[in-house]
Amino acid sequence: MAQFLLQTVWLIPCYAITGAVTSALWSPALIRRTGPRPAGYVNVCMTFLAFLHSLSVFPLTWQQPAQQLSLPWLQVAGLDLSFPVEISSVTVGASLVVTGLNLLGQIYAIGYMEMDWGWSRFFALLALFEAGMCSLAFCNSLFFTYIFLEVLTLGTYLIVGTWFNQSLVVTGARDAFLTKRIGDLFLLMGVLAIYPLAGTWNFDELAQWAETAQLDPAVATLVGLALLAGPIGKCAQLPLHLWLDEAMEGPVPSTILRNSVVVATGAWVLIKLQPVIALSPVVLTAMVVIGSVTAVGGTLIAIAQIDVKRSLSYSVSAYMGLVFVAVGTGHTDAALMLILSHALAQALLVMSTGSIVLNSITQDLTQLGGLWSRRPISGLCCLAGIAGLIGLPPLGGFWALLKLADGLWESRPELVAILLVVNGLTGFSLVREFGLIFAGSPKPMTERSPENFWLISLPMMVMMGMTLHLPLILQSLSLLPSWATLNKEAALLLLVSSLLGSGLGAVVYVGQSIPKPIQLPWRRLQSFFAYDLYTPQLYRSSIVFFVDRASRLTDWFDRQVIDGMVNLVGLASLFSGEALKYSNTGQGQFYILTIAFGMAAIALTMSWSFFLH
Amino acid sequence: MHLEYFLLLAAALFCIGIYGLVTSRNAVRVLMSIELLLNSVNLNLMAFSNYLDPQGIKGQVFSVFVITIAAAESAVGLAIILSIYRNRDTVDMEQFNLLKW
Repeated sequence: MAQFLLQTVWLIPCYAITGAVTSALWSPALIRRTGPRPAGYVNVCMTFLAFLHSLSVFPLTWQQPAQQLSLPWLQVAGLDLSFPVEISSVTVGASLVVTGLNLLGQIYAIGYMEMDWGWSRFFALLALFEAGMCSLAFCNSLFFTYIFLEVLTLGTYLIVGTWFNQSLVVTGARDAFLTKRIGDLFLLMGVLAIYPLAGTWNFDELAQWAETAQLDPAVATLVGLALLAGPIGKCAQLPLHLWLDEAMEGPVPSTILRNSVVVATGAWVLIKLQPVIALSPVVLTAMVVIGSVTAVGGTLIAIAQIDVKRSLSYSVSAYMGLVFVAVGTGHTDAALMLILSHALAQALLVMSTGSIVLNSITQDLTQLGGLWSRRPISGLCCLAGIAGLIGLPPLGGFWALLKLADGLWESRPELVAILLVVNGLTGFSLVREFGLIFAGSPKPMTERSPENFWLISLPMMVMMGMTLHLPLILQSLSLLPSWATLNKEAALLLLVSSLLGSGLGAVVYVGQSIPKPIQLPWRRLQSFFAYDLYTPQLYRSSIVFFVDRASRLTDWFDRQVIDGMVNLVGLASLFSGEALKYSNTGQGQFYILTIAFGMAAIALTMSWSFFLH
Repeated sequence: MHLEYFLLLAAALFCIGIYGLVTSRNAVRVLMSIELLLNSVNLNLMAFSNYLDPQGIKGQVFSVFVITIAAAESAVGLAIILSIYRNRDTVDMEQFNLLKW
């Protein structure tokens, strides 16, 4: 039985696909009378099945060598496109996290989407995401990874555009699609360029190839940068970060998944590609630079936001930046742990703030306040999320950050400094959010704000449990360092930076001594971060401007020059017909003259050679 | 007296005929020009039969036929002109340009 389950892990994405297809039956156009609710229930059941399957398989893979399966897909000429499935504790663990978060997110969505009729579409898309991410976890081929990334890009477009009658949703979905698509297209270039070099797309074989590859540095750099571009778009790193901000227009339950797992898909690919990327030191440097700039910039932007969801989304960018730093310096274990702890904590944070938004309507942090006494569950969940995300022992984020800091301690101390700064700033930004929502006195929008009903609170509290138990789970899997090997200086510094950041946030925002809203003396700096480094203007004046101008120019060229030339031919024949018809004068004598001239001309040509001699 | 002179004379007559055919405004005069053309052809035929085929003189037989056909043709031509004249009260060639573009 156990072996059977192990051999059929590839069914895990299929459960979700079944759910997605089935829930389409309850779309309003098909079911006109009984409403869309079964769509949600079916999907929760399917996700639960997938979760159980992952859970039952996980112990079998623990500390076992990775097993490989291969499902045939397409064999043409010299190309063998089989679908390689890797069954290892990491991939099964990833699918466990994905399905578990999906299960909680979908239960949350049943509560959150109570007043919405579009369950069929929404849950079908959630299931599509789940299927895509599980497939991505198991897939051991760069080629199929690219396919699933594109499926997820399309899914992002559709799910951000759930409520498409809002104009900001439409522009947000557009940006999310295009920005991620640009990254994916560069990734495709890399995927296509690496095949002639390595002769395989299998991640294991790529790693083997990379060990002994003698590659021209320029080629290695270009391929590495192309492979890096996909995850930059996926993980919302600078300069492709704006889409995540605008994707906050989508429904909160989908945001839970996007913030916690979907953005991690890029990091997952990056971790798998680390041996290839490590071929070029330039790419590693670029990765570390992009990651650290995004991490610092993202947290600074997050501090300056007044929208709850957007503030969290920039924290996501920042943490993904830390993952970039980790992968760029070769610490893939730390990156995986960071992704895990971030996924749980971030999901918890989005759940708790979403629960606040659902009952207080506004997302504006300046309109919220004074909810601690009346929303204790949401408040505690928010606190647990903050503690789990930043480096606060003994929770998960601390161990992940510590592992990374420990790895960087000797070789790259400046990156440890960045890590500490980001950790502190994230602590400040999250505690600022907590303070603005829960502390102080109630504002008009939060005068009456009841705690949510069980469908919202239950998954939130289960998630809080998961976040709080993460260190125990890690310990039971013996993933935590022992006390002897613990880097105590790094741990102390992390603790200090977390306490400093969150303590400062608490003093400023939880304490009521400083009047709000806080205005920095440097107004320009404040708006610079509040308007996310003026990225929309930057896009509009650079890429969008050039593409727009170029397309207008080509359109003009097409309409005027190309069409004009073709039309000119037609016009010329039309005009010549119109003009030449006047040679039919209707005068018989003119016709005779023409005949005479014609005959003379023919006679002349025929006797031409005769005249010449 | 060479064949060429006859041929040149016939060609000149033909050209005069063409000129008259193309430039005359009177329809009868057009018919007369056609007669000039036919006569120039006859001249050719006679000259060739004389110089090149004195035994067979097939050219002379041709000429007889041409004269005969020319008579018939001018009869029909005059009839056509008369019928046009009855309808349009004129024999001016420049008035007969109804079938243009």
